[in-house]
Amino acid sequence: MIDYDYLASRLATSLAVTFGVSVVTYGLIFLTPGDPAEIILSQQLDRQPSAAEIEAFRADHGLNDPIPVQYLHWLTDVFRGDLGTSYYSDTPVSTLIVETVPLTLELALAAMLVALAISIPAGVVSAVHRGTPIDHASQLGALLGVSMPNFWLAYLLILLFPLTLGVLPVAGAGSFGHLVLPAITLGTGMAAVVTRLVRSSMLEVLDEAYVDTARAKGLRERIVVYKHALRNALVPVVTILGLQLGTLLNGAVVVEIIFQRPGLGSLLVDAVFERNYPVVQGVTLVTAIVFVATNLLVDLTYRYLDPRVQLGGETA
Amino acid sequence: MTDQSPDSALLSVENLHTRFRTSEGPVHAVEGVSVTVDEGEIVGLVGESGSGKSVTARSIVGLQDPGEIVRGSIRLDGVDVTDATDRQLRRLRGDTVSMVFQDPTETLNPVFDVGEQIAESLKVHNQLDSQSLLEYLHVPPFSSQSEWREYRERAIELMAQVGIANPEDRVDAYPHELSGGLRQRAGMAIALASDPDLLIADEPTTALDVTTQAQLLERLRRHNAERGTAILLITHDLGVVADICDRVVVMYAGEVMETGPTDRILEAPRHPYTKALLDCLPQRVDRGSRLPTIEGSVPEPTGDRTGCPFAPRCDHATDACRRGEIPTVDLGDDRGTVTCSESSTLESHPARSATAALDGSTEPGSATAGGAPGNGPDQSTQPLVELEGVSRRYSLANGPIERLLGTDDTLRAVDDVDLEIRAGETLALVGESGCGKSTLASLLTGLEAPTTGTVRIDGTPVGPAADRDADTLADVGVVFQDPRSSLNPRLTVERAIGEPLRSNGWDRSRRRERVRELLERVGLADRHATSYPHELSGGQVQRVAIARAIALDPSLVVLDEPVSALDASVQSRLLNVLADLQADLDLAYLFISHDLTVVEHIADRVAVMYLGELMEVGPADRVFDCPTHPYTRALLEAIPSLDPGGSTGTSLEGDRPSPVDPPGGCVFRSRCPMAEPKCAETDPDQRQFGPVRAKCHLPVIDDRTASR
Repeated sequence: MIDYDYLASRLATSLAVTFGVSVVTYGLIFLTPGDPAEIILSQQLDRQPSAAEIEAFRADHGLNDPIPVQYLHWLTDVFRGDLGTSYYSDTPVSTLIVETVPLTLELALAAMLVALAISIPAGVVSAVHRGTPIDHASQLGALLGVSMPNFWLAYLLILLFPLTLGVLPVAGAGSFGHLVLPAITLGTGMAAVVTRLVRSSMLEVLDEAYVDTARAKGLRERIVVYKHALRNALVPVVTILGLQLGTLLNGAVVVEIIFQRPGLGSLLVDAVFERNYPVVQGVTLVTAIVFVATNLLVDLTYRYLDPRVQLGGETA
Repeated sequence: MTDQSPDSALLSVENLHTRFRTSEGPVHAVEGVSVTVDEGEIVGLVGESGSGKSVTARSIVGLQDPGEIVRGSIRLDGVDVTDATDRQLRRLRGDTVSMVFQDPTETLNPVFDVGEQIAESLKVHNQLDSQSLLEYLHVPPFSSQSEWREYRERAIELMAQVGIANPEDRVDAYPHELSGGLRQRAGMAIALASDPDLLIADEPTTALDVTTQAQLLERLRRHNAERGTAILLITHDLGVVADICDRVVVMYAGEVMETGPTDRILEAPRHPYTKALLDCLPQRVDRGSRLPTIEGSVPEPTGDRTGCPFAPRCDHATDACRRGEIPTVDLGDDRGTVTCSESSTLESHPARSATAALDGSTEPGSATAGGAPGNGPDQSTQPLVELEGVSRRYSLANGPIERLLGTDDTLRAVDDVDLEIRAGETLALVGESGCGKSTLASLLTGLEAPTTGTVRIDGTPVGPAADRDADTLADVGVVFQDPRSSLNPRLTVERAIGEPLRSNGWDRSRRRERVRELLERVGLADRHATSYPHELSGGQVQRVAIARAIALDPSLVVLDEPVSALDASVQSRLLNVLADLQADLDLAYLFISHDLTVVEHIADRVAVMYLGELMEVGPADRVFDCPTHPYTRALLEAIPSLDPGGSTGTSLEGDRPSPVDPPGGCVFRSRCPMAEPKCAETDPDQRQFGPVRAKCHLPVIDDRTASR
């Protein structure tokens, strides 16, 4: 059963959030020093551009208008489905995004899979064997994972696999092999956070009376844990997964640069350095939409995990 | 320890010791308990909280974790549970013994429908040793859908057997979609799926209404009679014991105090504790008189102890009781055992006299007049509180679109209630859970605003709390059901009680003085002022809540189930405190309770609610002795009687209809044993029958009601 009222209100909030994000990034971009005309022209012409050239560039891209007017122009274009063109290459921003989004999503999903594959079993085992050496080991691992910066892990992995063992490519994208090291780099940090969460959530659920009801039936402990307890323990975990996606996209920026992977992250970083406003805005907008959409999906997943969840929650 | 030889018994627990390791040292939850249950027998395990009865029960099925069994043996169908392997334990649980737990809101898994949970139990019983995770997770190639469907079909049969109406529809329901009674029945279906020889029921009806409790006990009794299932019933309620148990084991502080046939225990208890426990039940004491109490509290379960654990609270204790081994005396003739050094001297004492005297009250029976609370209700003047045509409805629409489409339902929590409370009287509000009692109280305290109708206090119409002035707010105090969750755990007792004073502008020294005075009034010591709620016992915390409620000298205190979370001995002390306060301060009480024995004891007048409507209002003695409304009668008949062997009368069949879609005509007609066609056609009006006002086409009128 789909609750249309709920969906409508959630979509409205999502739109408002996305709009807010675009306003804030637009404002921030103009607060940063540096003139795109100067930076881009000097790169394109390979010399210091003249005042006339700069003026022409500015007029051409509407950079002389007041900032709110520029924003309005951009916004109306967005509603027409036009994200503008890159200052640098005159390629439409939408083309740039369509080219890079799949690569970043691929990385993010792979990292998420790595994280879940590590964290769920580790968290469950840790909770079931609470206070034993297994638990301590998994806790220590999680602590390491949380505290280790991912760029450092990335270099360690590069040192170990491609350079010492000669397996897996160092950089680039395109094959499964290219995905392995970036996904592990990005996934372990998240795995650490999620392991701790699964553990504490499982500990709580294992104390619930219905777990004893399941045991009293004569069920094997494994079924009690993985069927009756885990499903309940996953509810708070799913919330965090949605929020962690933000961290994951953040991390992707770093990881993509280290592994020289094309993607939203490297696109964004380059665009920020170039003051390539349309690209920065376009990428931010798409990221915000992905983030908001994932969290909407997460909220809808609750309903499946926990039938008690009343989407909307407004009864009085 | 009992007269049966342990070998022949289905269950024999011998000298069981179960301990919990805590940071304050080991807690001795169970200290040398011996219990036997024969095939087909119903044994009651009785005690207050902290007596170790639940831990004993959980030890029997191997669920004592995180506690550990340090000594003793538990033989169940020839297997010693204390050193059974996992596989043996699973076999016992899936075949020989089943357990029904206390709170049905917590004991069913919220994310699986009840059909799945019952089907699982059936499957476990059928294939005890081949349980594969993937099969139970319904992963397609490993699990046969047709097999699961078969188990589901059988689950439906089982649901019908435990008295769930329309099981075909309910099999797909999730626990939260069912009422408490239905959930507990589903819990029974899970337990009975394995056709056990022994059913352990841990407070199975404590969280339920009396009417539902009566139905469930009837089911248990029937199951015992038809299938010969032995039952070990853990309960604090001696009425329940009297209702269905063959034999009783009385526990205190982890030890067995007395065992014996139910009749003998209730009629001629030998142990001072059993006597005291029976004495402080409100139904054994005349209305309005003081309740006998057991002074002191259960000893700390940590540390070593010698002698009888009840000695510090026992009037008959001698030096011999305080140290050394206490003998367990067999009374012979199948009359059971008693573990007491002084039991022989007690034989001549009639039950009740001992502890009543201890409390310093006059003999029960002669005390009715002296104990009548306060100056009595004042009939002449204007009522303190008046409710006139008060209703509270909730819209169930999910949002503006449904509201526009007009598909929203309304829940009628309180429907057209007229009620008044006079200064100094106790008006009890009774009814099953969900009948609107608490909503009605919230309308009075201003936590909710009525949809229609007027609430008047002292003749002045009042709105919700936000619109009331300080004087009106001060005039109504509130005590909630669960004292622990109604007090801020981070505030000391002094600050909690002083909060209403502070918001009324009392300065620090005046506050301090007032708090001391209030603590004394509710029977707490000065030193408790600096305690935090978690350092106090349940009874003490509720006293703090009462002190807070009376801090601003209200004329009305709303008490929402103030004693239902407490043990009998604590409950009786608190009821006495309430009676004293009423007499001293001339308080009016709105006393909400589902426990009719308590209500009968404390109330001047009673209002009976059903589905948001008032069914009957009248003087307590009249309503209890000769109820006018069939619903009141059904409620009273559902109370388990303390007379041994006295089974409950006709209990209400079926479940309460939904307040969203109440039956047309009289709302009670769908469950009324006397309903006639006219009950479905027209909604009866409130009518006066002598001193009683009732809303029924077919009132029970006896000679005293003849005058209209």
